[in-house]
Amino acid sequence: MHQKRNKLYLLLFTACFAGYVWLFYNVSTSGTEKSSMEVCLIKNATNIPCPSCGTTRAVVSLVNGDFFEALFLNPFGYIVALIMLLAPIWIVFDLISKKNSLFIFYQKIEKFLVRPKLAILLIFLVLANWIWNISKGL
Amino acid sequence: MDAQKVDMFIMSNGKFFEPHHIAQIRERLLLMDDNKWGMIQAAPMKDPQTALIISIFLGAYGIDRFYIGDTGLGVGKLLTCGGFAIWTIIDWFGIQKATREKNFEKLQQFLY
Repeated sequence: MHQKRNKLYLLLFTACFAGYVWLFYNVSTSGTEKSSMEVCLIKNATNIPCPSCGTTRAVVSLVNGDFFEALFLNPFGYIVALIMLLAPIWIVFDLISKKNSLFIFYQKIEKFLVRPKLAILLIFLVLANWIWNISKGL
Repeated sequence: MDAQKVDMFIMSNGKFFEPHHIAQIRERLLLMDDNKWGMIQAAPMKDPQTALIISIFLGAYGIDRFYIGDTGLGVGKLLTCGGFAIWTIIDWFGIQKATREKNFEKLQQFLY
């Protein structure tokens, strides 16, 4: 239990850190030239955008205060931005107060998400977002 | 439990677990009560090879993580284009181990 918690926290923290580095790189180059590096495996291989393509651009426009454009680019940007804001604070809070509230929350969310009715709805939302992404030509 | 039964279980389900866990599983099964046999038999195990195939084709969407029951990590992988493609490639090599460990975790609920 304890080991699993630490593993999850390390993973989340690393992911958030990488996300912030990536965000900083993108914010600092977004104004200068329009050649943002693309990392998406699917898009590089097939030229078709994946459901989460455009998330970086969405988060960058969120940073610039362009909430409507972020929603238009990719609604996933809001979720990612929320996780990136909350996760590090929550992890530090947990480590200082020696609790595992984030781990318990994570396990609850995992159980919550796999309920069939909700899962089907979410899968449809992701598919709809994918179709929207393709039609937008991100 | 009967040694013959346990060995049969190990033989037919050995591929679902890490080799170094097998000895521990066998030991616990031998100590276990007979009436849990049905539950152990019905425990849903995920096949590491299926997970690998899913990982190769749909790993960039995190479907492999959803398949083995790591919903939270699956969502993370989906939201970040397969973890900036790095995580996808790591999982091509690591998903089988992750599946076996997840199976062991599932079995542990019955063992202890």
